[in-house]
Amino acid sequence: MELYLPIAELPMNVFMLLGMGAAVGFLSGMFGVGGGFLLTPLLIFSGIPPAVAVATVSSQIVASSASGTLAYIRKKTIDVKLGGFLLVSGMIGSGIGVWVFGLLRAVGQLDLVIALSYVTFLSTVGALMLTEALRAIAAQRAGKPLPVGRPAARGWMQRLPLRVRFPRSKLAISAIPVVVLGVAIGFLGALLGIGGGFIMVPALIYILKVPTSIVIGTTLMQTLGTMAFATIMQASTNQTVDAVLGLCLMVGGVIGAQFGAQVGQRLRGETLRALLGLLVLSVGVRFAVDLVVMPKELYSITHSSGAGL
Amino acid sequence: MKRLIAALIAAGACLASPSARSEQLVTALSHDAVSITSNFTGSQVVIFGTIERDAQTVARSSNYEVVVALSGPLTTLVTRRKDRTVGLWINRDSERIGRVPSFLSVHSTNDLEAIAAPSLRAQLGIGLDMLPINATTSKTPPVRTDFEDAFLRLMQESRLYKQEEGSVEFLSAQLFRVPVVLPANVPVGTYTATVFLFRDGAMLSTTSEEMIIEKVGFEQLMTLYAHQHGLIYGIGTVLIACLTGWLAGIIFRRD
Repeated sequence: MELYLPIAELPMNVFMLLGMGAAVGFLSGMFGVGGGFLLTPLLIFSGIPPAVAVATVSSQIVASSASGTLAYIRKKTIDVKLGGFLLVSGMIGSGIGVWVFGLLRAVGQLDLVIALSYVTFLSTVGALMLTEALRAIAAQRAGKPLPVGRPAARGWMQRLPLRVRFPRSKLAISAIPVVVLGVAIGFLGALLGIGGGFIMVPALIYILKVPTSIVIGTTLMQTLGTMAFATIMQASTNQTVDAVLGLCLMVGGVIGAQFGAQVGQRLRGETLRALLGLLVLSVGVRFAVDLVVMPKELYSITHSSGAGL
Repeated sequence: MKRLIAALIAAGACLASPSARSEQLVTALSHDAVSITSNFTGSQVVIFGTIERDAQTVARSSNYEVVVALSGPLTTLVTRRKDRTVGLWINRDSERIGRVPSFLSVHSTNDLEAIAAPSLRAQLGIGLDMLPINATTSKTPPVRTDFEDAFLRLMQESRLYKQEEGSVEFLSAQLFRVPVVLPANVPVGTYTATVFLFRDGAMLSTTSEEMIIEKVGFEQLMTLYAHQHGLIYGIGTVLIACLTGWLAGIIFRRD
């Protein structure tokens, strides 16, 4: 069944959109990532103009992360205080990101920066997660006990001022790394059109030493807030949010996210991290291949405003 | 617009010569407006025309040739080329493609080369090979850069530009029709259907008809809100998103 999308200005098959939303939503619920880094390229590949894809995906991430956040609130595996800190700083970063976005577009190098960032972040984060998780799994198989508890935060981080208690995460850390992380994720989110969960999840685990069980719910809460902010910003400045396209992706996405969250609860932390690492790494490699291999079509057309055709 | 003026000037020049005064084109479109609704998957518009002759017209031995061009609103695009830089394929050079139609469908009774000389076609901007870029027409056919060639190729690949020689069908000696397919990704705006009548390589007459392609109903409402009340539209979208997520949470709650 074809449906004409009013802002993208072309018809798309409803069931294909629902399916794409569901598949990405499933992964989103399972790993606590927004899934934007998968959905945005998927939409662009299906012919949606990139500006519309980036803006609309943020509204879809709102729906799937809202659904996921509620599921984690019920399970009480969410640190609202930590999430709030990340959220507020994320919005600041998002504002800076939108400004840099405009700047790069004016210079004409936005495409390159986006592609290089995707390759760098996805490959690095993916490879790190995968090796760490595989090492943990191997250690377990060999019968060696996993390092119990969390190693204390590194020395320099302990010495930072503005120490804040996060009782739910059993943490007492300086607010500075938390805010820096939030700003960085918000910045990258606005620049690359992604929720940033795939960076947030490992950062919370490895840098801030937040317990794995709480990380996903807290990340979803932060994603919900920053993406709602991003949707409103995109709608009021670029007018590229397609609510009809968004709704199709949302309906598919929230259904997928429910099942994903349940599977995610059943899987072991290491397995989950290994799978997410593999997924992130493969998308990064895909972008790298596009940059290195000679493309079939060297030319492309865009509107003079910078928006795709 | 400039192209249209050029065409009209050329038409005026032709009409001024007494021998060609007698043929007149009368044309009509099957639709004045094409509505885009939520189930729009493309459409078709038929352009009809008849060649009127008065009693004094000398009997013509050879056939009439007709060229029909349906063109969309003018736009300015940028063509970019990827080049290998430090091992990476990235966009390097670009070229502005100024004031070109966002949609163009050219139809004719015969091969365009057989209908008129290149100089006349270039002057009138008839055919994709003669399409004026940056709205400049001259008597010499345009020399295309690599970027302009790529632009024309990509526009044809995306079904926005099309040239179908031999697709204008004569129903009788004077009456002709041509169906023009509007693909699903057709841009909205005011379209102009220009019809040219040729005989023996000379243009006898030309007409142009306007048509509007617009979104109606729900589609129009959405576009209007997105463009004029972006903030409300954005907040509304976020609320719908939260509601969708919340509803799904209730429906699929299993614990």
